[in-house]
Amino acid sequence: MSETKISTAKESRRGFFGSFSAWLAAAVGAVIGVGPVCVGLYTFIMEPLRKKQMPRKERDGGSSDPGFFRVASVDEIATDVPRRFTIVADKLDAWNFMKDQALGAVYLQKNEAGDISCYHTTCPHAGCSVAYEQDSNAYHCPCHNSSFNLDGSKLENGGSTNPSPRPLDTLEIKVDEATNTVFVKYEDYYTGRHDKVAK
Amino acid sequence: MFGKLYKWVDSRTGIQDSLEEALYENIPGGAKWRYVSGSMLVFAFMTQAITGIFLWMNYSAGSQNAWASVYYITYNMEGGALLRGIHHVMAQAMVVLLPIHILQVVIEKAYVKPREFNWWLGLVLMKITLALGLTGYLLPWDQKGYWATKVATELAALPPIVGGYIQKIVVGGNEYGHFTLTRFFALHAGVLPGLLVGFLVLHLAMFRKHGITAHSSEKRADQMFWPMQVLKDGVACALLFGLVVYVAIIHPAELGPPAEPTEPYGAARPEWYFLFLFQMLKYFDGSMGWNNEFVGAIVFPGVVFGFMFLMPFIARIKVGHAFNVLLIAALVGGAGYLTYEAHMEDNYNIYNEEDVDSAAYKKAAKYHAEVERADTEFRLIQELVEDYGIPLEGPLALQQRDPYTMGVRLFRRQCASCHAYNATGENAHLAIAGPEIDPNAEGPMGAPDLYGFGSPVWIQGLLNGEEGGITSPKYFGNTSHVEGEMVAHVRDTMWAEAETDEDKAVLKETIEQVSWALAAEAKLPYLDYAGNQDKIESGINHLNDDTLGCVGCHNYKENEFGYVFTLDHYASSEWLTTMISNPNEVYSEDWGTANDRMPAFHSDATKLLTQDEIELLVRFLRQDRTLLGDTPESVEPLQSEAPAEEAETAEVTETTETPAPAESEEDTDETPVDTTQEAIEEESAEEAEEATEE
Ligand code: FES
Repeated sequence: MSETKISTAKESRRGFFGSFSAWLAAAVGAVIGVGPVCVGLYTFIMEPLRKKQMPRKERDGGSSDPGFFRVASVDEIATDVPRRFTIVADKLDAWNFMKDQALGAVYLQKNEAGDISCYHTTCPHAGCSVAYEQDSNAYHCPCHNSSFNLDGSKLENGGSTNPSPRPLDTLEIKVDEATNTVFVKYEDYYTGRHDKVAK
Repeated sequence: MFGKLYKWVDSRTGIQDSLEEALYENIPGGAKWRYVSGSMLVFAFMTQAITGIFLWMNYSAGSQNAWASVYYITYNMEGGALLRGIHHVMAQAMVVLLPIHILQVVIEKAYVKPREFNWWLGLVLMKITLALGLTGYLLPWDQKGYWATKVATELAALPPIVGGYIQKIVVGGNEYGHFTLTRFFALHAGVLPGLLVGFLVLHLAMFRKHGITAHSSEKRADQMFWPMQVLKDGVACALLFGLVVYVAIIHPAELGPPAEPTEPYGAARPEWYFLFLFQMLKYFDGSMGWNNEFVGAIVFPGVVFGFMFLMPFIARIKVGHAFNVLLIAALVGGAGYLTYEAHMEDNYNIYNEEDVDSAAYKKAAKYHAEVERADTEFRLIQELVEDYGIPLEGPLALQQRDPYTMGVRLFRRQCASCHAYNATGENAHLAIAGPEIDPNAEGPMGAPDLYGFGSPVWIQGLLNGEEGGITSPKYFGNTSHVEGEMVAHVRDTMWAEAETDEDKAVLKETIEQVSWALAAEAKLPYLDYAGNQDKIESGINHLNDDTLGCVGCHNYKENEFGYVFTLDHYASSEWLTTMISNPNEVYSEDWGTANDRMPAFHSDATKLLTQDEIELLVRFLRQDRTLLGDTPESVEPLQSEAPAEEAETAEVTETTETPAPAESEEDTDETPVDTTQEAIEEESAEEAEEATEE
């Protein structure tokens, strides 16, 4: 039964795209097939790339230096020993707005002269979180053995490899003398590259 | 090159044969426009699947997130409104195409032997499509979807014995909540589309097996499905898609205010294509007789469906086909009529404008008022979301702190049986109708219209002895004060004495100044005190000099001979809080007719409102939209008196354990900055206020 049907079909056709209407049908079919997908893909691709806006009441009146977060008072920072501080800020997650959320962490330390340095806790290799270890007086990453000196430079620990492509990422800080407060310009960097590029 | 590649692929996949198998279907009598309805349904479903999956990428099922994510899709997301709009409109297009397709099949006799199975598969597909519509309606978790779907799931409990279990399984427990959404979402996005695809494949396979019902004719030669019918189908689908996109743009999918289980929505209606079922329920009563709700909601539709199921067999007997055509026509017509009837019932007030007094008119008007209220509530929550974002606890947590949303709700519930709130201008959407006041009727109706209470305009009306002033229902309504001393004084003394136009002009100016002086007591956040300093100061002088005769009865600042309530702090937050909590604390007791009906809403004896609710109402009446829990910005009507001192702020000595305001007052002259203490007792709040004034 089906064989006879196909044979009649084969007789009557002049090739698949043998007529103008065939081309037209294919074109129309393609267009309508693609229409809904285009709308969906547009939202899927464009939405994550869009710049998000904080709620109206939070937009202005914040700190005069956007990007800088208050992390610690100068007195809380130890000399020659790094201490970990949490960055707390308001957070926008799709439709939710949350006040005072932990965004991430930094290490702060000062030298004898009182100069403060600040390191991102994210490992430049592949994004694990590095930790300061007292025994070796260095930063170690728990994932693939990257280690860093207190000044952020890569630690050459004889023999074993150190896969990090660059030293620990430093962050810009500002000290408000009047209130004795340290502000950090907190941002994330792409990992796995030799240069430091902000996300 | 391309040809070679094609051959390579074809020899391994057999793509050529499959395409031929799929596209070279013989159509007796040639391609026709009227064969497009089936393809359009398939296309519509495909569109729903695609847009649905993209919506899924942004939707979050769960009672705190569902509304928030749909709000985000609709109002924040790039292209989200269009995406949701297409999904919403195409769903309705599908429900329109379904009966068309069915009618066609019946009229063209495509349901009879040997196509019984395909007819049944079609019926199953119809049910699945309707179930998709029903489950999808709940997902935005707004008032409309919530309350309408609730009716549908209540009906699931009707069948005897198993009903209760069915309902619990569908709803995911006893009450609506997370599980209702997760279940409905899994049904809507997983189970039902999966079933639909499965049955659709069978439906199409069956269709191919039997071929098109039409017979070859002499006039037109047979044609293959490809390309002419494909072209016609394609054009029809393209037109459908264009139309759907157009409608989605000019008439975007709505979103109501978030579902609030404690705030019933009086205009809950199912999606329009279920309205006929909704309407049909009204024909069945709650008695134990044969025509009860169970029969109406389940047995009757079940019997109708059973008939449709049996139609291929009915067609075998003589006139059976004619009967079937009539049955389907009657069903479509009946559903159409019921839909029309439901529409006319809900819009009776629009079609019968003169018939104001009929019950039908009032019912329809009420329905429209509820729809409008939902619009207002949505507008309010939208403003909140834009201002504050949505907290993790969900939109209700935000809404419940909003003096406007909650103010309107509480006012309607507790105050509107006596008071009106005739908001105008940019606040018109907040208006709440009070009771109808019949000046000749006795009884507890009508108290002041509280919109703008304490503002200069409101007070000027109160002190106006002419038409539309103090004697109008806007002020004392139908209370005993209509015949009271205040009315007598304003009408028969103040205004009666002003005989010439000149006198009246002077009186009006004095009243305006006094109204500003009184409004300064209220410290209303929306008034321009700074720009009206002169009026306030003159008004204070008038009051102290008793130009209008106010302080004969009322106390005011140093004038302490009055025997009715003091004008100090009149209409301020504290004053209103006391007034609502217990009005008898405002009106002096020895004044017999002072308060002849207003109950105490929060006193030792009564707790009709919580303190938070009173706070919300007070802010609503003062048009102060500071969220509950936040401290309102302080308003200082007479700033110019001591600008230098107030600008300075210094740390306040901590006196938490033993507050001694009297001492600190003398030592320092500053305003306390720290106002975060919660639940400050009224008394201490008043004390603090006095302190700041001094
Ligand atoms: S992520 Fe730190 S070593 Fe790989």
